[in-house]
Amino acid sequence: MNKTAKETAKKPAAQSEAKPTAPAKIKVATMWLSGCSGCHMSFLDIDERIVELVKHVDILFSPIVDTKVADMPQVDVGIVEGCVNNSDQEHELKMLRERCKVLIALGDCAVTGNIPTLRNQFPLEDVLSRGFEQTESTKIPIIPNDPVVPPLRPKAQPLQEVVKVDLHIPGCPPDADTIWFALTELLAGRVPQLNEKNMRYD
Amino acid sequence: MSTPKQITVTIDGKTCTGTAGQTILEIARDNGIVIPTLCYLKGLSSWGGCRICIVEIKGSPKVVPSCATPAMDGAEIITNSDRLVQLRKCTLELLFSERNHLCPMCPYNKGDCGLQHQGLAHGITGIRYQYLYPAMPIDLTAKYFGLDQNRCILCTRCVRTCDEVEGVHTLDIAGRGEKNRIVVDLAASFGTSETCTSCGACVANCPTGALFDKAAAFRGPLASCQTVLTTCTECPVGCGLKVFTKENRIVNVFGDPDSPVNKGHLCVKGRYETWADARQRVTQPLVRGADGQLHPATWPAAMKLIKDTLAQSPDWETGLLVSPRLTNEAIQSVRKMVDRFDRVAAFVAPHEAALCGQPEFSADALPKLDNADAIIVLGSRPSEDHGVVAARIRKAVRQRGAKLLIFHARKSGLDRYADICANVVSLERSFWKQVADTLAGAQRPVLLYGPQAMSPIGVTVLERLLKAFEGQKEGTGPAVIPLPRSTNSLGLGAAGIELLEEIGPWLDTKPMSFLHIVAGDEPDGGARLLEERYVRALLSEVDCLVVQAAYRSALTDMAKVVLPAMTWAEKYGTVTNFEGRVLPVRPVLAPVGEIRDDQTILESVFA
Repeated sequence: MNKTAKETAKKPAAQSEAKPTAPAKIKVATMWLSGCSGCHMSFLDIDERIVELVKHVDILFSPIVDTKVADMPQVDVGIVEGCVNNSDQEHELKMLRERCKVLIALGDCAVTGNIPTLRNQFPLEDVLSRGFEQTESTKIPIIPNDPVVPPLRPKAQPLQEVVKVDLHIPGCPPDADTIWFALTELLAGRVPQLNEKNMRYD
Repeated sequence: MSTPKQITVTIDGKTCTGTAGQTILEIARDNGIVIPTLCYLKGLSSWGGCRICIVEIKGSPKVVPSCATPAMDGAEIITNSDRLVQLRKCTLELLFSERNHLCPMCPYNKGDCGLQHQGLAHGITGIRYQYLYPAMPIDLTAKYFGLDQNRCILCTRCVRTCDEVEGVHTLDIAGRGEKNRIVVDLAASFGTSETCTSCGACVANCPTGALFDKAAAFRGPLASCQTVLTTCTECPVGCGLKVFTKENRIVNVFGDPDSPVNKGHLCVKGRYETWADARQRVTQPLVRGADGQLHPATWPAAMKLIKDTLAQSPDWETGLLVSPRLTNEAIQSVRKMVDRFDRVAAFVAPHEAALCGQPEFSADALPKLDNADAIIVLGSRPSEDHGVVAARIRKAVRQRGAKLLIFHARKSGLDRYADICANVVSLERSFWKQVADTLAGAQRPVLLYGPQAMSPIGVTVLERLLKAFEGQKEGTGPAVIPLPRSTNSLGLGAAGIELLEEIGPWLDTKPMSFLHIVAGDEPDGGARLLEERYVRALLSEVDCLVVQAAYRSALTDMAKVVLPAMTWAEKYGTVTNFEGRVLPVRPVLAPVGEIRDDQTILESVFA
């Protein structure tokens, strides 16, 4: 798998060198599922490099862009933070998967499930009861059952257990430099090769 | 003995030599070739469980674990083919997916985890397998460490350490397949375990965060710490310590693997008690005021008070009483004080004065124990007082079938490993015949005796035991090893300082007007002196009591002046262990407050 990835990586790289200027901007969507927003914060930590980034990239859909889910556009790259925890998130993720060419799992929650998957060790009823009925601050113990509230899935799962993921960037959160490296590699038409030096799990 | 046969193998195209019987991994490491490992640990038996160290041997279709495969002469070995890397990646991904490895929540996440290191080194970004999310128990019942099964990779390094190094085999594996897990005793917890000695060697050898030290957790990654090699001053064995510090705080204490004494192993005292327990320090001189309370004072003020008190009453009876935990350098200072005080003495454990009055150092005592085929322990409780010696005894008994005979009035953790354990000594002929039968044929017997051997009953037993060896062949008599309880009582005895088992009579013979007690870094601040009958009353009659101690205690609360002393972690000097080795005590931390070392205080106050 790795070999083929390398081979395919070389071809578009050669193509992009052939074309000196790319007139059309790359269209990007970012999504925030069951996560803490830390990975989006780390993304913003690329600081002034974001000016360079927006020369090449259009962010069309994101927690920082006011676009409704129903209007999710077709994009080139989808970047997802957080794991899949409820039916709504599953729906959004699958929709993004259909509408993007490259899907990136950003951060540990998206890659491994991380902290939200701690609940997987317990039956769902116990989790809901602990959260809504037994907490020390509970005054009226009611488990939300309004149809508007998306139900929790039986297990919280990392992205690749729900959809196909093209690139994993682990880290809690990944360093801004790692995110920048991955994005610039993609812009150059290469598959980012993460290694011991630019990758972390914590 | 014939020299082992030399063999030659080719590893990754490099010609490497080794001896027959060496594993592929050992030869590769000796020749500077890196093969990744997880379950392998030098010094333990090979397990071959993690399959990270797999290699290819030319001519064989299978891959083999290099840690458990002896190298064959002329073999061509490949350690880094694409196939091996892919297989190692799969293995690592299976390990990651099997349990709940949540790096962000683990105290070992910044460079101390072998699994994380291998994952990063192999460039694993995501796991292709489904996570199992098993519900795993966490055992936090031990005082100093915890076992989080979520992070366990079943490498059995802890099991092998517990069995082969500490010799208690508290830990083992139970269950099959995905239900496989580490168990304590027979599915007990650390808190209820009868065999666990809390030595913490399993934690030190755990490659992940499954076994973790509570006091060290989240104090900072060991990989980012400074390390200092020093000597444990808790008992006369003198184990080498490797102390990890960060921002002038101790993060963790491991055994020094290169120490000739303990070879990296420690007992609960050296590993945890010296730093993981909270104790109240004395950090500046304290002087009792008119209101009867201790108040902070400057060094000059406290010293002037002591000097003036002594100058005003030249006819006072003066005494200096010191702890046996002093360094050799502090003992030399105490010797200089003999002329300045009417009486100078050290307080030691019961019956220790008789043991250390004319000190005998038994060179190579530990190698002799390692080699022994019969070990007699008389009047000593190594499992309680000298954990590392107890570990060596258990190893001799469990791994090599050495006979163990214990004679002590009190029960100890070693009793369960003994062939004969006499808490009450019988004088019956049949009992002593049984002793003689057990010792019969022993080629390298060792007789280890502690302070209690100097009690009337102990001396009788000692004589009988030595008699049991009479009439045997020349040269098969036992190696006799005295083992005191207090750290440097042998050094104090050698310096000619009077050793006191009871301080009541010493205080009572002639009423003391001025008494300076050097408690040093006694863990209880010297408060154990007060446990002796009448001592509290006798001390309260002393006109001027000065206590020099590192920790606040009931004793410092009685003092007129308290002088702040250094602990083992701040001292600089040497101690002499029971084998006669002079071992360095190096400062681990920068001094806090206005503490000074024992000899500086003595020489500046009584110059």
